[in-house]
Amino acid sequence: MVLTFFDKAGSGVLRAMDTAGDFAVLSGRTFAAIFKRPFDGANLLRQFQAVGINSLPVVVLTSLAVSMVFAVQLAFGFKQFQAEGLASQVEGLAVMRELAPVITGLMLAGRVGSAMAAELGTMQVTEQIDALECLATDPIHYLFVPRLIASAVMLPILTAVSVYVGFWGGYLILVGVEGQSAYVYGNEFYKLLAFRDLRIALYKAFVFGMIIALVGCWKGYRTQGGAEGVGNAPTSSVVTSSLWILISDFFLTKLLLV
Amino acid sequence: MGLIDVVNLSKAFGPKVVLSGVNLSVEEGESLVVLGGSGTGKTVLLRNIMGLLTPDSGHVAVEGKIISRLSRDELFQVRQSIGMCFQMAALFDSMTVFENVAFGLRRHQKMTEGQVTARVEECLSLVGMRGTDKLKPAELSGGMKRRVGFARAIALKPKILLFDEPTTGLDPVMTDVIGKVILDLKHELGVTTITITHDLKSAFIIADRIALLFRGECIACQTPEVFRENPHPVVQQFLRGDADGPFLQDPPPPKHKEALA
Repeated sequence: MVLTFFDKAGSGVLRAMDTAGDFAVLSGRTFAAIFKRPFDGANLLRQFQAVGINSLPVVVLTSLAVSMVFAVQLAFGFKQFQAEGLASQVEGLAVMRELAPVITGLMLAGRVGSAMAAELGTMQVTEQIDALECLATDPIHYLFVPRLIASAVMLPILTAVSVYVGFWGGYLILVGVEGQSAYVYGNEFYKLLAFRDLRIALYKAFVFGMIIALVGCWKGYRTQGGAEGVGNAPTSSVVTSSLWILISDFFLTKLLLV
Repeated sequence: MGLIDVVNLSKAFGPKVVLSGVNLSVEEGESLVVLGGSGTGKTVLLRNIMGLLTPDSGHVAVEGKIISRLSRDELFQVRQSIGMCFQMAALFDSMTVFENVAFGLRRHQKMTEGQVTARVEECLSLVGMRGTDKLKPAELSGGMKRRVGFARAIALKPKILLFDEPTTGLDPVMTDVIGKVILDLKHELGVTTITITHDLKSAFIIADRIALLFRGECIACQTPEVFRENPHPVVQQFLRGDADGPFLQDPPPPKHKEALA
């Protein structure tokens, strides 16, 4: 009984280390392949569109919804202490430091990371990745690198968009519904913020972008078992990258706020 | 030393031994057909030649270069001289036929777009697929996909062509068409070919030599005439297509056997 427990625990640890090692090796190969030739500009532009342009509507809508809900909660909370004026300051702080990068990261993990896992997974089970190898093309260079660059570049841009939308989400509630002065809201939103906060938000988005692309590509590349495997890859990709976004958010916040 | 040398090649997946000490040599310009039942390691053999799998023991050498010992860049150099035609074509489904065939040219050749177009049209003509360049793989039949796969494989003017079960799942007419396309490619391009097939009719037309894999070993590798007369019971059972005999590792249950008789 005890031996069985240790046996299972040991094999679980070995499996986890094997998985982590595999991810680390593939990630390392991806970074090493960034500057390799040939440079495929058309492929990169397609990824910029898929990751960035096509994600705009979902980022705008979720950022608007979350910032509005947050403004409602803040207005209600601060009203208890007759401190309604603080709501716009805290709204600005929350949107810039946490809501914009994390919500954008999580939405793109669902929209883009899952699509990468499904696309590469299908390519894997239909031998298209083997066909790339046979055409003397490194799948890491051709498939991983453009997705990594597009995600790492577009996530900060989408986060900046999310901050902008977040400002107007708060405006709609605090000015439009709660009756605060538009002029005061405009000033107060940025009162507690420094340029450093924008920089931290963009750093976080940059890391989240890399997590989404690397996890999505890795899960797709390692797909096995036909339709079932292709079905599992996006789910696993979304869960893994969401988890890592939230975990890394904590460590990045601790690290960058010091 | 041949153009392709397979030396004592062994490969197992877990406890299942797929290839066990296979030896084969293919000369330049020669056409080898590899026969064998399902799961006897024919595709694994091709994947070892392409370097998609690493042998457990033994090696594959192409033009004297041992595939498993090459660096990634050296391997990609060798692969440019080998065209691989997959069983289900493995076309890039997000690209058109033109883009599929042009893929290798655009990545590895310094050609103008006009030269790429001319070469793609030439390759599509060779496989009888001219005029399909704007179609997506989803709009093609199984036989058409295989032929586009052939066109993609020959685009870089390889010295060696590998065909992995090119006729599986096709009707008899299309099987014959594919057989003739392979024969035409062999004559017009003068390439060395290794073809894996179950279709005995096209095998005897295409082959300069025929090899038979049985339980992970190569039990015959002879000219078609000699192969046809080979007295080995497995060879004769395979040629007759009988259920009874030593060929099947997992023979049908007795009741089914009686029904077949």
